[in-house]
Amino acid sequence: MDIDAILDLGTLSSDPLRLYTLATVVTVIVTTGLLAVLRLPGAWIPLRTWFVILPVALGAMWLGQGAWTLLVAVVSVLAFKEYARVTGLYRETLFVLLAYGAIITQNLFAYLGRYDVFMAIPTWTVLAMALVPIVLRRTEGMLQWFALAIVGAIFYGYFLAHLSYLYGSSTGLGYLLFVLLMTQLNDALQFIYGKAVGRHRWTPLSPNKTVEGSLLAGATIVGLTFLQAPIVFPGVPPWGVLVAGLIITIGGQVGDLTMANVKRNAGVKDFGAVLPGHGGLTDRLNSLMITAPAFAHIMGYLFGGFPS
Amino acid sequence: MSEPRFEYEPFPDLDLPLAARLGQYPRQPDLLLDTARALGRRLAATALRLQFRFEVVGAAPDLPRVAIMANHQSHLDTLAILAALPERDRRRVTVLAARDYFFERPAPALLANLLGQAVAFDRGSELAELHRWARLLPTIEPGWFLIYPSGSRKRLVPQAGLAGVLARSGWTVLPTALAGTAEAWPIGHALWRPFRTVRVTFGEPITDAAEHDLPRELLAFWAEHGHLVGAGALDGRPTEVPHEP
Repeated sequence: MDIDAILDLGTLSSDPLRLYTLATVVTVIVTTGLLAVLRLPGAWIPLRTWFVILPVALGAMWLGQGAWTLLVAVVSVLAFKEYARVTGLYRETLFVLLAYGAIITQNLFAYLGRYDVFMAIPTWTVLAMALVPIVLRRTEGMLQWFALAIVGAIFYGYFLAHLSYLYGSSTGLGYLLFVLLMTQLNDALQFIYGKAVGRHRWTPLSPNKTVEGSLLAGATIVGLTFLQAPIVFPGVPPWGVLVAGLIITIGGQVGDLTMANVKRNAGVKDFGAVLPGHGGLTDRLNSLMITAPAFAHIMGYLFGGFPS
Repeated sequence: MSEPRFEYEPFPDLDLPLAARLGQYPRQPDLLLDTARALGRRLAATALRLQFRFEVVGAAPDLPRVAIMANHQSHLDTLAILAALPERDRRRVTVLAARDYFFERPAPALLANLLGQAVAFDRGSELAELHRWARLLPTIEPGWFLIYPSGSRKRLVPQAGLAGVLARSGWTVLPTALAGTAEAWPIGHALWRPFRTVRVTFGEPITDAAEHDLPRELLAFWAEHGHLVGAGALDGRPTEVPHEP
C-alpha cells in the first residue's frame, strides 16, 4: 500500500485500521507538542513508553491476524508471569505451566475462529489445575495456589484472548481498535482529570481514583464513542452506542481495581518495571482484561458481528 | 479453629530492570531464563569445542562447594572453563562477572548470563561487596563459583579479596590455569580467532584454603600451567598487561 493510498481521506472511514493509525499518529504528535510547551514534570517517561507500545501494537495489526494473535499471546504470558511473581504463585511450576498452556491454547483457538473450543478451554483449564494437588500429593497452601492459578488463567488467558478473538469480527477491525484505544484513553483521562480537578476519593483499592476523574473520563469516553459511531458501529442504535461507551469506562475501572486489589493484598506498588512510567505489563493491560470480554460478549449478543 | 489465610510472598526483584535481575545472586527462579541458560551453556560449550583445539588436563573434584580460581586474560576464559567441565558440573557453576562491564545494559547482561552463567560482582564498591558475599555465602545452598582473583583481564596478580572470603567460608579452591585464550581472543579485539589451541588445566583441590597463601600459590600454578601474556619472571610480580588498544 503506497503512502497516497494510506492518506486517501475519501476511503478513510471504511478502513478503521488506517483511520485509527492516522488518528494515533496525530494524537502522539499533538501530545508531544503540548508536553514540550507545558513542560509537565514526569510526563515524558510514560510518553516515551507509548512511543514503543503504539507502533508495536498497531504494527502487529497491520501485519495481520497471525501477528496480532502472537503478540497478544506473548504479552499475556509475560503479564501472567508478573502476576505469578507478585503473588508468589510462580514458585508452583506446575500451575504456572498449565496457565501458560491455557493462554497459548486460548489464543490459538481465537485465531482459528473456533468459538466452541475457545469457550470450552477455561473449563478444561480448571479441571487440569484441580489435578495438581492430587498429582503432587500436597495439601499445604494448595487452595491458595489453585485459586490464584484459576484467576490468573481466566484473566490473562480467557479474558485477554478476547483481544485476539475481536480481530476476527465480521465488522472489521473497528471493534478491536475501539476497545484497545478507548480503554487506554479512559485510563489516561481518569488519571489526568483526577489530578486536575479530583477531590473526592471513592475507593480504598486505588488512591488515585476520584469521583470527579471517573465521571469526567466516563463522559468523555461516551462522547467520543458517539463521535466514532458512524465508523465503528454502523447500524447500531444510539442506546447500543451508549452501552459500548459505558462498557469501556465502567469495565476499564473494574479491571483496574481488580488488579489493584491483587497488588494491595500482595503489598506491592506495581506489577513490574518493564514499562517505564507505567509499571509492569499488567498495569497497562488490567482494564482490557474486563473491557475486551465484556465488549465482545455484550455487543456480540446484542448486535452480532463475531464468528460463533 | 483458626481461619486459614492467603499468604503472599512477592518475588524480591519485581522493581529491578532486566540487567539487574540477571545479575542478582541468589537467582530467583525463572522458567524462561533457566531454560535459556541450560540451552545457552550447552550451545556455548559446543561452539567453543568446534572452533578450537581443546585440551583439558586434570579433572574437577566431586564436592558440593568448589571455587574455581583461574587466570583471566580473555573473554573466552569463562566459556573455556565451562566447556572443560562435564554438564553435571557445568550446570552448578555460577560465574562472578564485573557489574560495571556486563550488568548495566540488557544485551551484555543477557549474553553473560545465558551463555556464561554470570552474576554481578560490584568492583566499584569492593569492600561493601565483599562484606555482602561474606554474609551471603554461609546462607546459600552448596554450589560452585568461578572467579578471577586478579579482578581484571588487564591484571595478572591475584588479589586476596573474594578468593579469601570463599576460602574462609569453607569453599574448596580449585586452581585452574588457562593457556591459549589470550591469543584466541586478545584484549581489545572485537572478534575471536578460531582454530587455535586452548588448554584448561585443573590443579589439585585445596580443601583447607584458609590456611594457604592463595595469591602466591595461584600465581605459581598459573605461571607453571597457564600462559600469562605480559608476565615476566614470577618474582618480578608484573601487575599490568602491556597496554593494548
